[in-house]
Formats: sequence, structure tokens, C-alpha cells
Amino acid sequence: MFIAFFIGFFVFWEYSVIWFDIPRYILTPPSLIVEKGAADLDRLLYYTYITGLEVVLGYSTAVVLALPLGLAIAFSSILKRTVYPFIVCIEMVPKIAFAPLFISWLGFGLLPKVIIVFLVCFFPIVLNAILAFNSLSEELTLFSRSTGGGVWRTFIKVRLPAALPQCFVGFKYAAINATVGAAIAEFIGSDEGLGFYIQIVTGNMRPDLAFAGIFFLTLLGLSLFGLVTLAERLLIPWHISVRRG
Amino acid sequence: MSHQIEFSGVKKVFGTGASAVHAFGPVDLSIAEGEFISLLGPSGCGKSTLMLMTSGLLEATEGSVLIGGTKVKGPQTDVGVMFQDNTLVPWRTVRGNVELQLEMRGMSLSANKDKVDQLLTSVHMEDFADRHPYELSGGMQQRAAFCQAMVHEPKTMLLDEPLGKLDAMTRERIRSDLQNLWMQERPTVIFVTHSIEEAIQLSTKVAVITPRPGTIERIIDIDLPFPRDFEVKNSPEFAAYVRETQEIFRGYGVI
Ligand SMILES: Nc1ncnc2c1ncn2[C@@H]1O[C@H](COP(=O)(O)OP(=O)(O)O)[C@@H](O)[C@H]1O
Ligand SMILES: [Mg+2]
Repeated sequence: MFIAFFIGFFVFWEYSVIWFDIPRYILTPPSLIVEKGAADLDRLLYYTYITGLEVVLGYSTAVVLALPLGLAIAFSSILKRTVYPFIVCIEMVPKIAFAPLFISWLGFGLLPKVIIVFLVCFFPIVLNAILAFNSLSEELTLFSRSTGGGVWRTFIKVRLPAALPQCFVGFKYAAINATVGAAIAEFIGSDEGLGFYIQIVTGNMRPDLAFAGIFFLTLLGLSLFGLVTLAERLLIPWHISVRRG
Repeated sequence: MSHQIEFSGVKKVFGTGASAVHAFGPVDLSIAEGEFISLLGPSGCGKSTLMLMTSGLLEATEGSVLIGGTKVKGPQTDVGVMFQDNTLVPWRTVRGNVELQLEMRGMSLSANKDKVDQLLTSVHMEDFADRHPYELSGGMQQRAAFCQAMVHEPKTMLLDEPLGKLDAMTRERIRSDLQNLWMQERPTVIFVTHSIEEAIQLSTKVAVITPRPGTIERIIDIDLPFPRDFEVKNSPEFAAYVRETQEIFRGYGVI
């Protein structure tokens, strides 16, 4: 059903370009996107690698830093009163608006993009981690205390597994943000990457290649999201969202 | 006679000032070792609060609880608690959930394997040991929760409405399993229920609690032979106990 609709969409696209006589520099039929994209495959693959590198570095740095910070905030009343409100305020700022600044400070290279990806991933992970580690049910809290199991055992055996589903909400949200962040950062200033590519070819009136770039960007986003979903399936197969899905 | 559990002047007030809620007490009560006492009282009279104070998970505002002569200060580890909402975790199987109690206490799993098997068998859960809680009916979940609460062989068991959410038939079956287990091990049991018949069938004593703030209205000794099967339940003596208890609740205007 879904597949049929999907194919139908592309067929409609293919023929509407011909029927409505849309100029090629405005919109290209999918067949031409495939043909021209294939001809430029080397560049597309290389730029996918560049953007992918920004995404992976930014995303993994965000996970590595945000998770412990979320944990610390969840368990420390001092941090909850100081750092937490600060993070909530910063969360309100559209991180992508910093991109021109970072690029002017750090140049056209990899680093400013990694930082932007990091920023758009960091906040959803921190905020969901705090929520995750603070929402152990009253019963399980009491149960853990009743066993006299201590902080560490309670954490490993009860708190951590109970928190994982909510943590994954953050991971998935961040995974969606990551490619968007990388692409926009590249639009603003870069000399390689898929965002750069899309911008250049669009300027050259080549929507066919722009669509090919978008296709690879989508593929990148889906791959990251797919990996996170796979990790979720492996780590929390018991969770209702995984069982239903 | 050694008193396993002693409550003296136990009272609980939640909050302070104008918004304070006087939830329970003051209550004096002695429970002998091996006793099965039911707390029977209307919703909100402080039964769960009393359970938490007994297990040391909640501090009494006034008075003290003594278990085996020692004052309860922090969480009591020689107690088995079955909370009103069960504490089965969804990421573990039934067996894993029972083992969670052992693991949290640093007890050996290999040394207790037979114990776990035996316990699961005694409540007819041996075929569901490798299922997850979400694959079980409410009754089976409560059986599993029951095993989790007593696998460390506590001398005292606190059961907070363990059969509350179950249908009548399942309740009936679990009741008799519960009674058998109690008769074998003879732990001291404090059992919370809303069912008058259930209290009378299972208990050596029934403590009838007043509406909030709960105090003890009356303690009824249930002088009927164990096991209390179908015959006992249909005896005129049993009916008389039910009637006596109902009269008290009629007096509250609850029924
Ligand atoms: N943590 C709490 N804070 C404030 N009030 C509470 C708290 N826990 C229980 N209460 C109140 O204390 C009373 C007794 O509660 P509870 O012990 O749960 O009653 P029961 O188990 O008999 O139904 C209720 O009126 C309830 O609203
Ligand atoms: Mg209750």
C-alpha cells in the first residue's frame, strides 16, 4: 500500500513535468535525477562522506557529553537549581542562528559544522536524560530502598534500564536534528559537503543535481536514525514502543 | 509470647501547617510472631501509610514501630513488601524479576536457584518463568510479584492489597495458594484488603480500621481451623464473623 503510493508519487512527478511542460531548470523528472546524479556520483559520495563525518562527530560528542551531564543534573539538587534552568533557557535559543558566528570565528572547515551539529543534538539528549533519570516510579523507588541495595546497585539494576526508553526519545530527536544542522551549517559557509553541493548546483540552475544531493542527505539522515532505532531495538526490546513498532 | 511487631502511638501527618493531612493514628498494636493479621478499612484510612512506616520506608510523625524488639529507623531488610502497585520491571522475565530481589541484596543466584524454582512452582508459575510481565494476566503478575516479595525468606511480610485488582475467581485461587505458603513458612503477615471475606478466610486476626485518620476500631480474633477451605467458608461461624465485621462498616456508613 505504502510502496504503491510511493511509486505512484514518483510516476506522477515524472509525467507531470512532461504534461505541464515544466522547464528543466525549475524541476527535473526523477529519471533525469538518477541519470545526472549517477554521472556525478564521485562528488556526491565524497560530499556524503564529509557531511556524514560532521554528523557522526557532532552527534557522538553530544551523546558522550549530554548523557553524563543529564545524569549529574538528575541526581544533584544543586545542579538542578543552577545548571538546569540555564540549559532550559539556552534550549530556547535557536542554535542554528549561531552558525554564521562559528564560521566567522573558526573558518570554513569541519570544526564549526561539528559544533553546530553538536549543539542541535546536545539539548534534546540532556533534557530527555534528566527527565528519564528523574521519572522512576514511586513503587520501584520504594522497592529499591526496601532491598537495601544501595545507590550503585539501584542505578545499574533499576534506574538505568528504567530510564533507557526516555533517553532514546532524546537520541532519536537528536538524530533527526543532526543532518538538518549539518546541511544548514554548510549552506551558511563551506567549501565541501552536501549542503555546499546543493547550494552550488542550485545556483547553476541544476535542480536535477540538487535533488540528487537531497537524496543523499536524506539517506544520511535515515542511516543515522536507523542505527539509533536498531540500538533501541537491541537495548530495550521489552519497551512498549518497540513491541508495537 | 514474643511480639514480632509492636506499634506504640504510631501517627502520621503529611505536610505541615494548614495543608497538613492527618493520615493515620495514633495506633497501638502488637502482632505476635507467625500471626496473619488483616487490615480492613475504607480507602484512604492510612493502610498503605502504615505498611510503609512498618517497613521503614516512611518515617512516623509520632510514636515508634518495633520489629523483633528493635526500633525501625531506616528501611528494614528482613521484611518482604508487596506494594499496592506491583514492582515487576518490564525488562526482566518472571524469573529475572524474582532474582532482582536477590541481586539487589547481593545474594547468590546459583545458591538460590532451587528456592526460586520452588517458589514459582508453589504459585503455579513454573511454566511462565521465562515470560515477561506484559505477557501475563493480572493474576499471574501478582503471583510473580508475590514470589519477588518473599524469595529472600523474610520473617515479616507486608502485603498491600495484593489481590485488589483481580477478578473474584482468580482471587479465590491465589488466596488458597497464599494460605498454603503461609502455613508452611509461618512468617508474620500484615495483609491489606478491602474484602471482608478475604480477611476472615486468611487471617488469625482482623484489625478493623476507622475512616481517616485511621485508628483501630476493633481487633477480631478469627478462631477457625486452617486450612480454611470451602467447608470452613460455608460454616455458620464464618458467617458470624462476616456479619460482625459488616456491622462495623455499617456503623461508618461505608456499606
Ligand atoms: N505522600 C503523601 N502526601 C500527602 N498525603 C498523603 C501521602 N500519602 C498518603 N496521603 C494521604 O494519606 C491518607 C492515607 O493514604 P493511604 O495510606 O494511601 O490510604 P489507604 O492505603 O488506606 O487507602 C490519604 O488521605 C492520602 O491522601
Ligand atoms: Mg492503600
